[in-house]
Amino acid sequence: MRKKVGIIACSGEELLGGTLSRAAARIVVEKLRSQETIILCAPLFAAGGLERHGGQEERNFAKEHPTITIEGCEEECAKIAVDKYSGPPAATIYIQKYIDAHPELKSISRESLGEEGMKLAEIIAEDIAKKVDELFIRK
Amino acid sequence: MSKQKVYIIPCSGIGKVFGSIGRESAYIVVNELKKEKSALECLPLIVKGKKKVIDTLKLNKVIAIDGCPLKCSYNNLMENVGKVDAKFMTTDIVKENRDLRPESSIMPIGEHTKKLAKKLAEKVAQKVDDLLKPNEEGELE
Repeated sequence: MRKKVGIIACSGEELLGGTLSRAAARIVVEKLRSQETIILCAPLFAAGGLERHGGQEERNFAKEHPTITIEGCEEECAKIAVDKYSGPPAATIYIQKYIDAHPELKSISRESLGEEGMKLAEIIAEDIAKKVDELFIRK
Repeated sequence: MSKQKVYIIPCSGIGKVFGSIGRESAYIVVNELKKEKSALECLPLIVKGKKKVIDTLKLNKVIAIDGCPLKCSYNNLMENVGKVDAKFMTTDIVKENRDLRPESSIMPIGEHTKKLAKKLAEKVAQKVDDLLKPNEEGELE
């Protein structure tokens, strides 16, 4: 099986952290590590057993591949779901840590990150990409 | 009179543009069209079963917006909250507007995608009013 890393962003719609998590995930899978990563949808992942056995494919993938969760707030929704259904994620990224570390980069809103918010998402994505590389080296 | 709100719960899909249409339309409803009557909540928190959120949703009206046939929003709301007062599929608004083929770009979304989100938001906003309209007995629909 070809090795890939699953990226699971909390993607919470109500919070700025959710939007940043989504943006960072897209940057990783579209630009930075497009060959090495795929996105797993968090609610679908947790929705196993529902109509058409929604999350089973995602869960099986995460059992067989390393995963990185991205958390938009302290609730750790993505990490908890992965832990529960597929085992511990290889790494967890906390968005708040980056917001605190870069007060100069102010996102406009949860609806639109704006230029500075996108820069912050890129910084987060760079770190995720480094984690992806570490996982590849480890194997 | 009741201070009930309508919670709009879009699916969290980030792999395809259909999830983006749902999320964008939810933002238009809660920020512009029905600012006082509607609110958002995170689907992942509902999936997780966060009690405070679940209790709030049970006491209010809930609209699910889904972007694919797996219907994560609808199914997870039914599973965790036990009800959905109305539901929408973003693919329906795409089918109804063949001239507005959504761009594949998710970040940022394209002009057609924005227009589709606005059209869907208008439908959802109408549903918000319907759900908060008292019936003949003076109760909410």
